[in-house]
Amino acid sequence: MATPESLPEISHKVTQAQLAKYADASGDHNPLHLDEAFAAGTPYGRTIAHGMLVLAFVSETMTKSFGRAWMCEGKLKAKFRAPVYPGDTLTTTGTLKSTSDAKATYDFVVRKQDGSDVLTAEAAVPIAC
Amino acid sequence: MWMDISTLEPGHKLFSRRIAITDDAVAGYLTAVDDDGEAYAREGITPPMAVAAVVMGEALQAIELPAGAVHTGQELGFEAPVNVGAEVDCAATVVQNSVRRGTRFMALEITADVGDDRALTGRVSLAIPEGAIPEGGE
Repeated sequence: MATPESLPEISHKVTQAQLAKYADASGDHNPLHLDEAFAAGTPYGRTIAHGMLVLAFVSETMTKSFGRAWMCEGKLKAKFRAPVYPGDTLTTTGTLKSTSDAKATYDFVVRKQDGSDVLTAEAAVPIAC
Repeated sequence: MWMDISTLEPGHKLFSRRIAITDDAVAGYLTAVDDDGEAYAREGITPPMAVAAVVMGEALQAIELPAGAVHTGQELGFEAPVNVGAEVDCAATVVQNSVRRGTRFMALEITADVGDDRALTGRVSLAIPEGAIPEGGE
């Protein structure tokens, strides 16, 4: 299996409508993600995206690059660095960190339009299957 | 009355439930994450993050997090494919619950099994300011 030095970048604009769809899909209807009035009273001041929605962009990149190997045997370790607000455009980049006989490991960063990091992650995929 | 998260000991099972991963559920997930889903359709496999999202949604509902809670970290391991239409046994267990410098740190272990096969494992890290008011708590 090929292990490119960098994976194709993807970008997504996060919207409030998307948060509502994600809440329905996941069952996570926390008002912090959905209710502007509620969120205004929290330290965030506005609704924020589900962390797992942002993490999905990392998995999307790995799926497009490695297909079934990622879907069936991928490993992911992520830290959420900052909140994502509706209207933010996120760019996901993955670069090769290491390879061994058995797996390739990629470092990921998800950045906002202002260049700040909102998520960092390490994703490992088997390359010998 | 909301759940008093300070009483949750490591080993406490938050929930255990069988969930069907339907065509509609997968389509809804893919729309929500703005993914064309071609790779999954080609393989006939449920997006593993869709399974993770459902387990996480159940876990976070079960724990009734306060408004100031922060999802700080997430680990996931995809162990086996989940076919669309499969029934998945999902569970979440508290593995850490401690307070340090005014912040409660919780970790949950999540799992999803199809029959006797483990399909997904994960660890969720949460930071919760002490004294935060649970949603709907006041």
